[in-house]
Amino acid sequence: MPSAAEKPAAPIRWIEIAVPAHPEAVEAVSEILDRVGYNGIAVDVPLEGGPHIVKAYVVYDHAARVKVRRVKEAIGRLRAFGLGPVGEVALRRIADEDWLESWKSQFTPIAIGPFFVRPSWSTASAAGIEIVLDPGMAFGTGLHPTTRQCLEAVGRLDLAGRSVLDVGTGSGILAVAAAKRGAGRVVAVDVDPLAVRAAEENARRNDVSVEVALGSAADVPGAFDVVLGNLVADVLVRIAADLRARVARGGVLVCAGIVAEKEALVVRALADAGLARRRRDQREDWVRLDLA
Amino acid sequence: MAKKVKAVVKVQIPAGKATAAPPVGTALGPHGINMGAFIKEYNDKTASMVGSVVPVVVTIFEDRSFTFVTKSPPAADLIRKEAGIEKGSPQPNKSLVGKISKAQVRKIAEMKQNDLNANTVESAMRMVEGTARSMGVEVTA
Repeated sequence: MPSAAEKPAAPIRWIEIAVPAHPEAVEAVSEILDRVGYNGIAVDVPLEGGPHIVKAYVVYDHAARVKVRRVKEAIGRLRAFGLGPVGEVALRRIADEDWLESWKSQFTPIAIGPFFVRPSWSTASAAGIEIVLDPGMAFGTGLHPTTRQCLEAVGRLDLAGRSVLDVGTGSGILAVAAAKRGAGRVVAVDVDPLAVRAAEENARRNDVSVEVALGSAADVPGAFDVVLGNLVADVLVRIAADLRARVARGGVLVCAGIVAEKEALVVRALADAGLARRRRDQREDWVRLDLA
Repeated sequence: MAKKVKAVVKVQIPAGKATAAPPVGTALGPHGINMGAFIKEYNDKTASMVGSVVPVVVTIFEDRSFTFVTKSPPAADLIRKEAGIEKGSPQPNKSLVGKISKAQVRKIAEMKQNDLNANTVESAMRMVEGTARSMGVEVTA
């Protein structure tokens, strides 16, 4: 993994693992590639006959070689399981700049609560607390309802001098927002190394101090006045006790990314951990809960 | 007149979590579609399924417009669920991690038959069985 201290301009490189597969073997090959692929897999479906090409992408780092070897071994074994023919594993090294351009064009300046979120490549200006953001490939541009809900909460809470932990920070947007609102210590964690890198860059870009680390709520020592968890329901349920352990006496947990139909599960898990719902916000299908 | 299809790409990612990172960016970016629009649409359509993997088949036309349809969960997910396991075996030839019955294979095959382009349920069963075995899941009578 490239060091997070490297210059932001250094492009992340990937290795594409591509495996041609008979339609009968596509699901099995997909399962193998999904074990190592970043966020899933893709399959090129032939328009006229020919094999499908199953593709996965791994970050080009020290672990990549091991992942590629595992795929090659598993694909080799697959041939014994009586599915259609599977071709050779092909590798290609790629950079990520090109396809990001079209993504960037979709991300425009936006006012949310007291904040004005501006992509780093935009020169727009407006009233409000400015957050300059380059989401890279991480989640959290302010365009998604869950991010908006959390930003509004960060805009409303009294953060002056208080400690804040952002679990699953993604682009770092919430951590940066908290720091801009005068929070004392701000810690941000994410289990995705790409998110850690994006969050560090965005903190620098906004000239605020955020301690960014790889990991989750369980990996952070101590307790915080405000804990933010813009995750998904299943993860919130799974780490409910860890989140509770990070909330200081008199503190608050703001969690979002909860699909309405799973709200009850999250509320129950957090109640079991000792947190009660104080406030609720629903936007489209997404629910945000403030608990203490 | 119908628009000419340029490419068909299946993307298999966690519901509600599409980003511009691979595999979405790398699979769809080169075809010149509006990726931001795809990401938003995918995340909106799959918002209620967060926590599951939801494959979609994206049809990209010559004019760079696109449509997509959501598909049944991956065979591997259905096998894991039926076998009651969290993940497959890294060494399916040496260690088995679970078992499913022929009836369970048939159930999965029937769910997946259309998406697998299988002409018969027997053919779909063969695919499911092979996938199960490659995961270290034994198929019992």
